[in-house]
Amino acid sequence: MTPTGSSTTIAPERTEIQAPAKQWQGQNVPRKEDKRLTQGQGVFVDDVKRHGMGYIHFVRSPYAHAHITSIDVSKAEKLKGVYGTLTGEEVASLTDPFFQLSSPPGAHVKDYALAVGKVRYVGEPIVAVVAETRELARDASELVEVEYEPLEAIVDARVALDESKPVIHEDAGSNLMWEGVFEWGSWDDAVAEADKVVKISELHFHRFNSTPLECDGAVVEYNRGVGQWTLYTNNQFPGFAQIMMGPAMRCGLDKLRFVTQDIGGAFGNKITSHPQLTVCCLLARKLNRAVNWTEWRTDFHMSMSHGNERWFLDTEVAVKNDGTLLGFRTKALDDAGAYLRYEPLGGVIWAQVTPGMYKWRNIRLEFTQIASNKAPCSPNRGYSRMQHLWFTERMIDIVAKELDLDPIEIRKRNYVKHEDMPYETPNGCIYDSGDYAKMLDVALDLIGWDQLAAKKAEAQSRGKLFGIGIGSTLDSGTNNFGQSRMINPELQFSGNNEVATVKLDIFGEIVVTLGTTPQGQGHETTAAQVVADILNCGVDDVHVRSGHDSYWNSHAGFSGTYASQFAVTGLSAVKGATEMLREQIFRLAGAVFGGVPAEALELADGGIRIKENPDAFLPFMACGAIINANNAGLPEDLDVTLNCRYVYRPPFEVPDIERKFGNLTLTYAAQIHAAAVEIDPETGHYEIVDYAAVDDCGIRIHPQIVEGQVMGATAHALGGVMHEVFEYDEEGNLLTPNFYDYHVPHALDMPPLKTGSIESPSPFTPLGTKGMGEGGGAGIHAVCSAIQDALRSKGGAIVCDSSNPYRRVWEMLESPETAGARVQVVDA
Amino acid sequence: MLLREVEYAKPASVADALGVLAQNDGARALAGGQTLINVMKARAASPDVLVDLNGLDELKGIELAGDGTLTIGAMTTYTELMASAEAKARPILGEVVSTIADVQVRNRGTIGGNVCASDPTNHLPPLMAAIGARFTIAGANGEREVGADEFFLGVYMTAVGVGELLTKITIPAGKHDGFAAVTLGVDGTCIANAAASLDGSLRIALGCVDAVPVVLEPASADEAAVREAVRGAALDPPSDVHATAEYRTHLAEVLAVRAARQAQER
Amino acid sequence: MSDHPITVTVNGVEYERQVEARKLLIHFVRDDLDLTGSHIGCDTGNCGACSMIVNGTLVKSCMMLAVQADGATVETVEGLADGEELTPLQKSFSEHHALQCGYCTPGMLMSATALLRENPSPSEDEIKKALQGNLCRCTGYWNIFEAVKAVAR
Repeated sequence: MTPTGSSTTIAPERTEIQAPAKQWQGQNVPRKEDKRLTQGQGVFVDDVKRHGMGYIHFVRSPYAHAHITSIDVSKAEKLKGVYGTLTGEEVASLTDPFFQLSSPPGAHVKDYALAVGKVRYVGEPIVAVVAETRELARDASELVEVEYEPLEAIVDARVALDESKPVIHEDAGSNLMWEGVFEWGSWDDAVAEADKVVKISELHFHRFNSTPLECDGAVVEYNRGVGQWTLYTNNQFPGFAQIMMGPAMRCGLDKLRFVTQDIGGAFGNKITSHPQLTVCCLLARKLNRAVNWTEWRTDFHMSMSHGNERWFLDTEVAVKNDGTLLGFRTKALDDAGAYLRYEPLGGVIWAQVTPGMYKWRNIRLEFTQIASNKAPCSPNRGYSRMQHLWFTERMIDIVAKELDLDPIEIRKRNYVKHEDMPYETPNGCIYDSGDYAKMLDVALDLIGWDQLAAKKAEAQSRGKLFGIGIGSTLDSGTNNFGQSRMINPELQFSGNNEVATVKLDIFGEIVVTLGTTPQGQGHETTAAQVVADILNCGVDDVHVRSGHDSYWNSHAGFSGTYASQFAVTGLSAVKGATEMLREQIFRLAGAVFGGVPAEALELADGGIRIKENPDAFLPFMACGAIINANNAGLPEDLDVTLNCRYVYRPPFEVPDIERKFGNLTLTYAAQIHAAAVEIDPETGHYEIVDYAAVDDCGIRIHPQIVEGQVMGATAHALGGVMHEVFEYDEEGNLLTPNFYDYHVPHALDMPPLKTGSIESPSPFTPLGTKGMGEGGGAGIHAVCSAIQDALRSKGGAIVCDSSNPYRRVWEMLESPETAGARVQVVDA
Repeated sequence: MLLREVEYAKPASVADALGVLAQNDGARALAGGQTLINVMKARAASPDVLVDLNGLDELKGIELAGDGTLTIGAMTTYTELMASAEAKARPILGEVVSTIADVQVRNRGTIGGNVCASDPTNHLPPLMAAIGARFTIAGANGEREVGADEFFLGVYMTAVGVGELLTKITIPAGKHDGFAAVTLGVDGTCIANAAASLDGSLRIALGCVDAVPVVLEPASADEAAVREAVRGAALDPPSDVHATAEYRTHLAEVLAVRAARQAQER
Repeated sequence: MSDHPITVTVNGVEYERQVEARKLLIHFVRDDLDLTGSHIGCDTGNCGACSMIVNGTLVKSCMMLAVQADGATVETVEGLADGEELTPLQKSFSEHHALQCGYCTPGMLMSATALLRENPSPSEDEIKKALQGNLCRCTGYWNIFEAVKAVAR
């Protein structure tokens, strides 16, 4: 397998040019973004202001499930300073329902930008009000009169398909949205070879998300003369928003211009703001003025992009007495929430990491996704893989405990081996490179595994229960969108792409444009590193435009910043475009010097010169000037623009839909985390007292940025496992709608952290890089593992939930048998 | 964000403030605003007039009398209390206050505002109840002083009536105090807390288990007596996302023991 | 409802404006003065993205009315650097990769600035305590601690 690329311009024949030694890649150069961001000079969406701009406030549903019997906006519209309103009824007449990714029954769901006829979760937008000020818009929203006929709410996925329960989307016929069976190898063969089968009746991965500090938002203006909208927004996947919005709004995609500069964190949670953006567009057109939508924290918690909640039911693991894992089967029950905004893609995304880091070959997973009266799920850092990897790690630790095996040994015995890379998984994914056992050794070393007994004893002397746990995960990056066909064979998506343009301007300025929408990943900096190495110049000589603008024509269908891919897709596009530019500079200089061949030339000191005669030097400024402003007399056949656009296209085939088999992602970064916890046995209160995170994402362009991502993913995981949960009551009210009750870690909550890394270059990517950033939720798995270890000496409860607030730990201490009853070991 | 419309008054004296409060049933005193403004953002409260007490020096300051009695002006901020040499006469005060919220909130939030909010998940109500604080309330008819048992009436309800202000809190001398809490993360939202004070006899006040602090006077300070007192209180705490009633009841007992132990060890 | 005339000095510049009593200081600074460096990350006073120094004291400007800032001196992130010359703290944040998306950074810088003015040699525990009121969702804080430590004397 070799990487390929393509260019949308007619590329001339390539001349082999000796690449200069890497100078910038691998260095922690100062981030270009930091100067503006440390001075409050970033431009985030809510910083954008337009003349006469109106402010949107949404009227939101107080009910989780209800028919809307009437809506009266007349009082609101009469309030002085109110510009207008938009209702679901208007939306239904002006737009078509958003395109559904699902095959039936989920395909039949009708999802509009505002609730039409029915509300399906607390916080669902029903009416939008626009006024002169933010405060007035909210005042007016309180004057909108909505009458409801409440219905029973469904908040527990396990009863969603009961016949006695109400149907949330009548058009779909039931609360089943999507289901599919994934089976590779043979479960029967696994059992035949096994000594034991470990049965786990129920595991639960909870609902939370990454809560970026900046919520969603937009400023949208409509150019009536040309029928075009400009959306200043922090949506992180404009290409997806466009293909959702264009057909719904019955307009061409180019009529939806997406602009973004700085984004205040996204983590997947800012992919599915298309309903709200559609409302903004309709209002900008209706009211003929720019509109602002600022999503507040409570709005975000109630309505935006919850991570998938998933149950694993009737799991069985086939294992030999020595700990060799042969296979597992389970029923995954996924709660998508009220609408399928990106779902049911989560129904296949997990399959990128089907066996986790392990060698088991016989796997059967029945995936069922249901609708519930909770906020819609959408991608969240570690999207869908995190749930599955948690499940995988839980199986390992539960098997280890039940069979009295060492959790380290069982991992090492079953990890895919370094010498087996690239490794094809049972479902056809190719793990490109890595050395998991070595990473585990590094992690154990960092956390002081050899002093474990002493640490345990010391904690015990203080009345604490000490435990240590491991989380081994993969961060699969660069999606093959062909996997979407496994959930809906009708979908015409496959492969992936990303764009960069690099040009040499009239005064020799090197200008790079990206198709991505970074949210803190330092794309401006790492792109400049790649360019500077190729053009043999300094990173400060490279200007990378900040942000994204679909008018720049530097994006493709899958452009955006999501799913751990920039170091592969984005930087490969940058590399491709820069190499095109370099080649053009060589040809231009060759012509200017009177027919000097490329081999006789070299890049140096911000220009190009003849190797044997360094005085024959053409600075980049001269190159730019000649092509752009002084081009008379150049040879007619000199096809040089010094403005190069390159589309990187990873080497993918369309997966085999029948067998659900194929390579679903290009690279597999790996994480092994080790956590040590101390539990107060009287209260269930616990602290993480030591922590190690080891990462391998191939070649690192900017190690400090990589480490920053590792740290951030760790913090998310620790918050997720300890405190963060979107919990609902029986009526479907969100109980954690703000940062009081949804406790994200703050400075005092952070444990000591040690980081380590190894570099296993990817053989499949142009720079040897792998996508990274999401992580696989390793911290969640490591802490669950550590809690279970700590509880060994006091009841020996099994950790069955990914959410472990103090109350749950106390419950495990009080009645360890409750969780224990979920596990059973039988002879195979 | 985005409060309902409200009027704003900035009185020059306590007398003026009382005047404005008396004139309008919908007027409400604005102390540090670290609770009230958030409640107003949620539009869960919308007073007609905010009477801003910031800048009224009469309501500030901490005095230590010869007998060790502390008098704390209602508008004293947490930060001022933490920095006060006088307040160290009762060390538990600064210790507990330093765990409330964060620097910014402590810089602006006030002791008086805290107790007037009567938030059952806050630390000060049980602490004040345990250490025998007394509250001076001023109104049109002059001042009156009440104890914690009379002061805290319910969730967000205190003895400070319409047209009245809390002006100061008086705390008797003492040092055998203890405090224990389980919070979300370090110093986050409180799940359960307990304060204890030993002055001849032991007094314990439990927070987060009822609308107001539950005050217990165990027969002795030893662990068994404390546990018995908590069990005897027949607590019926609320269940919420952070704790079931059962867990809170359990925590109340454990924390009472810990607070009592700390009080004894001082 | 009447508007209130207020005079506020922000980063050395005096502004005279009329404000509704209900307007929060953060909205006033961002929307009325167009100083958009300070941010909003929650609606409950938890996140600290709106932290400013008002009359020398660090506050969260979402829990203060603009009218309460009448006559006050306010410092925001825009006032930290001296022209193009960043403060040592701003430089240190960059050097230690103490910011990713940069959304919390203005508030974080104000909190760290307030800390260092009061206590130029904070211990690690004091740094953590001083930054507790500022949430960051990108970094996990570790690099922020390092950045502040590096400029502590």
